[in-house]
Amino acid sequence: MILALPSAHDLATGLIVAQIAAPAATLLALGLPALLGRPPSERATTRAVSAGFGLTFLAALVSLAVGAARGFPVEVVHLGTLFAVGHHAATVELVADGLSIPYVCFSTGLCSLVNAFAGRYLHREPGFTRFFILLVLFGFGMNLLVLAGSIDVLFAGWECVGVSSTFLIGFFHERRTAGAAALRAFVTYRICDVGLLAAGVVIHHAVGSGDFGHVFAGAWPTATCLVPVATAVPASLLLVFAALGKSAQLPFSGWLPRAMEGPTPSSAIFYGALSIHAGAYLLLRCAPLLDAAPAVAWLLVAIGLGTAIHAAVVGSVQTDLKAMLAYASMTQAGLILAEIGLGWRVVPLVHVISHAILRSLQILRSPSALHDRHELSAALGGPPGQGESLLLRLLPAGLRATLYRIALERGFEDALVGRFVVAPVLAALEAAAEFERRLVARLGGSQDVADEWHRDRGAE
Amino acid sequence: MTALDAVPLLDSLCCARLLSATAAVAICAPLAGIAGAQLAGARHNPRLPAGWSLATALAAALTLAWGWRSGPGQEVLLGPQLAGGSLVHLDGLTAILLPLVALLSLAIVLVAPRRAVTVGGVTRLLAGAALTTALMTTSHPVVLVILWVASLLPTWLSTRATPGGRPTARVYALMMILGSVLFAVGVGLLALDPPWAPQAGPAGAAGGWLVTLAVMIRKGIVPFHSWYPALFTAAPMSAALAATMPQVASYAAVRLLVGHADGVAAELVVLSQAALVTAAYGAALAVVQRDVRGLVGTLALSQSAMVLAGLSGGLPMELCGALAVWVSSGLALTGIGLVAWALESRAGVLGLESPQGRFADAPALAAFFLLFGLASLGFPGTLSFVADDLIVAGSLGDQPHAGVLVIVATVACGIAVVRGWFRIFGGLATPDAPRHQILRRERVPLGLLLAVLFGLGLWPGPFVQSLEQVAALLLNSRHAAPATALPGDHP
Repeated sequence: MILALPSAHDLATGLIVAQIAAPAATLLALGLPALLGRPPSERATTRAVSAGFGLTFLAALVSLAVGAARGFPVEVVHLGTLFAVGHHAATVELVADGLSIPYVCFSTGLCSLVNAFAGRYLHREPGFTRFFILLVLFGFGMNLLVLAGSIDVLFAGWECVGVSSTFLIGFFHERRTAGAAALRAFVTYRICDVGLLAAGVVIHHAVGSGDFGHVFAGAWPTATCLVPVATAVPASLLLVFAALGKSAQLPFSGWLPRAMEGPTPSSAIFYGALSIHAGAYLLLRCAPLLDAAPAVAWLLVAIGLGTAIHAAVVGSVQTDLKAMLAYASMTQAGLILAEIGLGWRVVPLVHVISHAILRSLQILRSPSALHDRHELSAALGGPPGQGESLLLRLLPAGLRATLYRIALERGFEDALVGRFVVAPVLAALEAAAEFERRLVARLGGSQDVADEWHRDRGAE
Repeated sequence: MTALDAVPLLDSLCCARLLSATAAVAICAPLAGIAGAQLAGARHNPRLPAGWSLATALAAALTLAWGWRSGPGQEVLLGPQLAGGSLVHLDGLTAILLPLVALLSLAIVLVAPRRAVTVGGVTRLLAGAALTTALMTTSHPVVLVILWVASLLPTWLSTRATPGGRPTARVYALMMILGSVLFAVGVGLLALDPPWAPQAGPAGAAGGWLVTLAVMIRKGIVPFHSWYPALFTAAPMSAALAATMPQVASYAAVRLLVGHADGVAAELVVLSQAALVTAAYGAALAVVQRDVRGLVGTLALSQSAMVLAGLSGGLPMELCGALAVWVSSGLALTGIGLVAWALESRAGVLGLESPQGRFADAPALAAFFLLFGLASLGFPGTLSFVADDLIVAGSLGDQPHAGVLVIVATVACGIAVVRGWFRIFGGLATPDAPRHQILRRERVPLGLLLAVLFGLGLWPGPFVQSLEQVAALLLNSRHAAPATALPGDHP
């Protein structure tokens, strides 16, 4: 009997499927028992997650080696059609190329490391299993996002990342601030998700499919845009809008410093490494659309640079280490988006990977770094000296005071958004809800239906 | 090979007999449950006969669905006919809706808190289930009107019997009487002067508009929507869910308006536009609700309105989306409502103006609330994702604003669900408060609803094929093949 060796395409397909299937299986293995009232023990949880992430990372490494040996050809894996009605079909396609393979390797590697760190860091923490379920959901969503071969699959991964991020920010849900920070992040995500959804709709409408193979021609990073400019401009504008929320760019950056309410390991991987760069990945994947819409690309450069300056100024006056690191991440994310807007492709990819590794290390190190600093201060008999930067010394005193005030107020971003967007919208909605209550009360001949119901239930 | 091309396992006659027999069982089983509950009396738990009767109804409805899928795909029309409607009308729509009604009723009976399971309450719930099931097996105008009115009574009686529910019962009665009168007159005019007939007069057109208004009132479509969240606030959760989730008004719209779109196209367009506004407005209201019942009511208002938004479409895709939303919103919102009810039974009224700290009480209920919430707002991997995708993709050609409004509604509902989660489950738990873990009779039905939502979302192919078949039959009903009738029936 002759055993046929798998072809390179079959091997690549198997490896890519493994990178989605392994975290999905881990998610089911942890989630189903928890839902059925039998959450796995700490040891079983860490073993299952380590096995899942380990297998994924191994598959990613082999993919990287095979891809590098073959010069990263574009491998499209068609997993099937989810459903089809008439000419509309939702296909599940993954793609392995020069962008997705290195990126998934780096993201699964980081997930594995953070998993190893978190197993000890969260030992005996209530919600241990919940943390790892959310971490695996994030890993699954991230792999789906990175390996997506269509905008529909990318959206599915994007949503998994958003939901897991929200509930990890609110992990310590008994704290009021954690819930508020999680809700703020989710509202920002959800508003900006409109951009991705609408971009998908625009692309489907223009080419009749969301598969990237119908939108772009060629291999990354030299792929070109197949859709007309009339479609590329709105689609790229909507994609930029979506990326701004996930990457915490102006005017949607207020959620990021608050997101540090979550456990340190999740902060490291989400807001120092992977989640905050999801927007950059989206724009790198859809870069040919930006090439076809130069005005949108320049807008991206302006927003990215503006955010970088804003975050650098605001970050310099933060008194909380994690907030300082959040603003540092925001600065780098802004620079990366500006690089993408300038038409660079490999530079922002390298920037993403190097920044993510450095920043996640800093965030993971932050609790012990504070401890070390306290020890150092004790040894020195006072805080270690820190001189002013050259730039600050060059600025006139009046401008420095103004900048200091602006930085303390976080650039007035929260105040402006709160006063001119959130407050009027909430006031209008409250007024509408109050009108509804009064109308029903009037029709029912009572003061307030809800009040009466509550009163009677209380008396009962 | 699609479902349309498949070789049928059952011949026409065998299929017609099977469908009519199973429909009869699905209608009669809840009535038998009423008898069982009455015989058991106050000393015994009426949940048992009610549960068994609804489980029987569910089994019959699933058999009906299997029979339809295995048969030749022709409508079964039995009994007297009037104005194109038949006393018994069984088709793909029935095959989808009957299992839905039975499953929702069963889940409600099983999860209902012990205090709510009284002989009277169970009797009203089972009567409502039987009437709704019967309504969904007919297209005869007179029978539709009778069952439309009769199916309102259990909800009204339950609301009126609830402490503090009388003002809402009054509002409900006011709106439903108006809707019923409009419906009866409208159906009468449609029957007398069908607007889709070659020589149609103005009476039939007026009838179409009156039926449209009646559907808007019963469905809680803007500007007739205010009673809808109020019902969730003041009625027992079982009554509110049983009254709204099966969507009797949408069924009437399908039977009376959709199949005859040539004659009543303008009415359908108005209906769908108002439904889109309702979806967005309801979602916006959900963001600022003060209590969990208000949240469930406004979410239900928004999500279920999307069914009517897709009904006006001339493409099977839009109609498929509408039918998928019908099922997904029914299952997901019933799930959210039942979780809210289970929490209320432990902690009393749950406000949303400050964190209630309920996570420690029952973490499994927190997980169910979140998963049902995600399943109601188009999260990938759930049926609502498929439904929203079909509606948005289907409406792009002729009404792109529909896609925008559906997206806005989905976004706002998402914000409302997450805000609700953190307000209900977030915050410090009272240290000495009693802990109530989720019960098995709660976990099993909630798990079943969730399994259906995720199962159909992850493997939607066969279900969407069935929907496509139904949509094609509905859209082509004017030119449909002769219906199957049992020997001896005299239309």
